[in-house]
Amino acid sequence: MVRALSVAADFKEDGVMYAIAAFVVCFVIAESLFFIRKAWKQGKKLGISEEKLKNTVFSSALFTVAPAISILTTVIVLASALGLVLPWIRLSVIGNLAYETVATESMLGVFGSTLSTEITDPAQFGAVAWVMTIGTCFALVLLPITCKSIQKKIGGAVHKSETSSRSADALSAAAFIGVIAAFVARAVGGRIAADKITVGDAGVMSVCTLVTAIVVSLLLETLCVKLNLKKLQPFAMPLSMFAAMGMAMLLTAVLPDKVAQLTWWG
Amino acid sequence: MEKTKKALSPSERSYFDRVHTWGRIWTVGALLMLLSVPTLICLHLGVWPPAKDVFQALKTVIPIYWGTAVVEVLTYTPMLGAGGTYQSFVTGNITNLKLPCGLNAMENAGVKANTEEGEVISTIAIGVSAITTTLIIAVGVLLFAPLLGVITQPGNAFEPAFTYVLPALFGALGAGYFRKHWKISVFPILVGVAVLLFAPTLPVGTLLFITIVASLGGTLLMLKLKWI
Repeated sequence: MVRALSVAADFKEDGVMYAIAAFVVCFVIAESLFFIRKAWKQGKKLGISEEKLKNTVFSSALFTVAPAISILTTVIVLASALGLVLPWIRLSVIGNLAYETVATESMLGVFGSTLSTEITDPAQFGAVAWVMTIGTCFALVLLPITCKSIQKKIGGAVHKSETSSRSADALSAAAFIGVIAAFVARAVGGRIAADKITVGDAGVMSVCTLVTAIVVSLLLETLCVKLNLKKLQPFAMPLSMFAAMGMAMLLTAVLPDKVAQLTWWG
Repeated sequence: MEKTKKALSPSERSYFDRVHTWGRIWTVGALLMLLSVPTLICLHLGVWPPAKDVFQALKTVIPIYWGTAVVEVLTYTPMLGAGGTYQSFVTGNITNLKLPCGLNAMENAGVKANTEEGEVISTIAIGVSAITTTLIIAVGVLLFAPLLGVITQPGNAFEPAFTYVLPALFGALGAGYFRKHWKISVFPILVGVAVLLFAPTLPVGTLLFITIVASLGGTLLMLKLKWI
């Protein structure tokens, strides 16, 4: 009986599962290395300086550290039900916490179970893996068919409007600002879910974190320009992000709980 | 007169064309790799879940995710560049990581999206980001899993840093844009906040669509009125 239970618990994290994860990780890294190599060669052909290319590598790696750790924490959230390896695989390809949670809950709901209990039936585990995969792979079906035509149409529109480069610049910036605006708005007035848990909802902490990130970023940018610190410039953004995360920790530690936990929807 | 159409050699085709060819091959490969994961799991465990159960769960999942996939492909492809798009849709976490990383790299390098220079910089940035993420997750799972549980436990000193990682990330990324283009920035942020007042839990994919449309619409109007 004890052995049966331990086998049931182990199948999610045995050697074969780790081998499947290693295969997925190798694929992702190989694809990225391939594209980086090709882009690097093209960059040199276009006359982009080696320093600029190297700065792109270092600042992008630094930029990624905090969000990647945040993604890693979602592996832990899912691990209680699914073990470590399947969430690791899913979060390395396409997946994110919202997708995986809904997919898992939908499948477990059919079996009359939930994400809060550990899966011990291999058939349920296999079913969850199928639903996670099929639910999220549609973009990969669309891309080979549509990506080139979308790029051509957008590229064509941009080049046409380059007759008025002021308009092209403004519209290009507007598209990016539209993306950023959604997340700024969520930090100012959004809510994670319509339940009693308010952690992460917009409130004192989200607004303070947002404002700190903006202020530190502007200060660093000004410093870089005034003191001609060209090497610091690519790191201004990740440093501002870390400063804001530090501020979130500091405020949580020093503010009274009532203030730190104050959210607009609480 | 001979009217045969000569196929272009790889060196004669544009860089964009070659990226699309590579991207298609890698994407089809990624799709097969993805589908192989549940197949291998089921073969390994010697179980095949009943198709009707899987379809029943997919009835809930597909309308949400496949619809979102269409919107995401249309929204992100022009911003990420071809190489960045093909990589991002395989590795995921686009809105919270790959897109801001690509935007930040292009901003730092002083290049624009949809130009060849922008394509190069965005491809490198997103590739580096994908590798870094994959390695951090792999190392984290293999070495730090017990420690990570402690770090992220409710009440831990590090917890707020990760809870508010998105305001930190987008505040830092947005600052430069807000300073340079403050007239363009005000309207989409106000629209986003106004929409959230009525629908605070609106999914981010839908909110993104609304703020991008508001931003582009507002900018077009301001250009017409010569305010910018």
